Amino acid sequence: MDTTPARSYDVTEALVESVPLVASADSEGFAELYERAFPRVYAYVASLLRDRAAAEDVTSQAFERAYRKRRSYRPARGSIDAWLFRIARNAALDELRKRKRRAVLEVDPEDTVSRTPEDHAELAVRRETVRAALASLDGQERDLIALKFAGGLSNAEIARVLGMSESNAGTRMHRTITKLREACHE
Amino acid sequence: MSDQLAAIDDALETGAADHHDPLTRELQELALALQADAPEPDAGFERELRGRVERGFPKPASSRRPLWRRMMTPAFATGLVVLPLVLIVVVAGGGGQSDDGGGGGGGGGGSVAAESGGHDSGATAGAGRGAAPPAVEARQQALARAGAQPELESGGGSAGRLVLPPDDGFAPGQRNRKIERSIGLELEMPVDEMAQVAEQVTTVTNRHGGFVLSSSVSTGEDGAGGDFQLRIPATELRPALRDLAALADVRTQTQTGRDVTRQHVTAKDRLQAARAERRSLLRRLELATTDEEAEAIRRRLDIVAGEINGLRSQLRSLRLRTDYAVVTVTLLRKDGDQGGAVGGSFDDALGDAGDLLVGVAGLIVRALAVALPLGLIALLGWLAGRVVRRRQRESALA
Repeated sequence: MDTTPARSYDVTEALVESVPLVASADSEGFAELYERAFPRVYAYVASLLRDRAAAEDVTSQAFERAYRKRRSYRPARGSIDAWLFRIARNAALDELRKRKRRAVLEVDPEDTVSRTPEDHAELAVRRETVRAALASLDGQERDLIALKFAGGLSNAEIARVLGMSESNAGTRMHRTITKLREACHE
Repeated sequence: MSDQLAAIDDALETGAADHHDPLTRELQELALALQADAPEPDAGFERELRGRVERGFPKPASSRRPLWRRMMTPAFATGLVVLPLVLIVVVAGGGGQSDDGGGGGGGGGGSVAAESGGHDSGATAGAGRGAAPPAVEARQQALARAGAQPELESGGGSAGRLVLPPDDGFAPGQRNRKIERSIGLELEMPVDEMAQVAEQVTTVTNRHGGFVLSSSVSTGEDGAGGDFQLRIPATELRPALRDLAALADVRTQTQTGRDVTRQHVTAKDRLQAARAERRSLLRRLELATTDEEAEAIRRRLDIVAGEINGLRSQLRSLRLRTDYAVVTVTLLRKDGDQGGAVGGSFDDALGDAGDLLVGVAGLIVRALAVALPLGLIALLGWLAGRVVRRRQRESALA
């Protein structure tokens, strides 16, 4: 009888994949995280603050906080993106509270891609519709939308950021986007 | 619901809204629109922040917090509060034990030099009869060097402190008072010194002109001890007590005094009167003219003679009781002394180790009694602060 244990390469690969970029807590790993997450973090923060200057300050602050606390990150408590977005969200909410401003999604992003006049007009109309629909959402729903579509997080990561279960996050996400669709038709 | 969420994720990943269900496709298109409208960062800001990331977010020197602010972490602040309280408890607990120990060691307070010599009995076992053992000599020398002017205190026992009767008796300002004194002295010593101390008690008594009325000494391992009933001339009482106290550690000393001057004077006056009556009767007897008269005077003389004898005896007894103080010396084994070698047996070591462990456990329990509630309060405060901060943050989205 052959008793030689079979080696599982799948398991090894899975373990390698699960190691986060900043698990070694060095500056090089953090730079990689920055390159990967910076546009999404900025988009999320800017969506919440609706102020480019404030969004730049808060984004910078969030990355600095994450850099200083990088040794406190524990992979078992969620992905590195969820950890980073939680820091960014706290910083953004602190800024919002400090400025006594309500969170409103930024609705006038710059166009960086050239389009045909027909495309441009159609896009403008669609944006205006979505902008109006977003205005009907409350702050927490806009936060959820920003995390999903500006931050690009999965439902599991959103659940980590907001401190709720993944199913709850999915349910709220579905309800919110359905509400947004209905608002677009009004 | 989950199918629609999955379709939305697919659309975000592929960038295409191609679901066959119109409603789901509409949600996909909405998701793509939201994704496309996400704000994009300024290129200059991105370069600047990347530079800061690569440099490790250096802080300008002026913005560095002072050292005490950097040290003031929550754990350090909690330690600042808890540590002094724990120290207070530990010191208080240690102080209480010290007091207990002090009480036990109080018996040795009067013999500073005795401790080192107290265990030196092996070397002194062969000392000649009548010669004071080194430990005793050390005590005597220590008392002599210190001037040994014992504190005057009447009545009551006082552990470890020699109390001598006052020179002037119990009626200050009165001369020639007749005071009947009795002194009780409890001396404690290691078992192996007891026989030598017993000999020295007799020696000291004799040296001061007194005598031993009764004595009982036992030097066995179990029930070692001794009792002496001494009579010491009142004039020698102070130096005799000083010498007796120097023989060992004084555990307790009691003193009682009774003024018998009135009894003495009364007996003396009655004796003088009886003698005067006898002289008168003798003169009347010489002058008696009849046998009946002479016989009556003789009978009266017999009565007076008996009365004189009784009064003389009473006076003699009073004088003896006032001229000689009753001193009761009790020899006791020192607490904790097992009569063994210096350092004790293995059982002693085990016992000491057990006591030490119990003491340490007691201190730990006391410290925990303070630290645990404080830690719990701090933990609850920290959790409450977290909840409040979280709610305050979330209120920004309300």
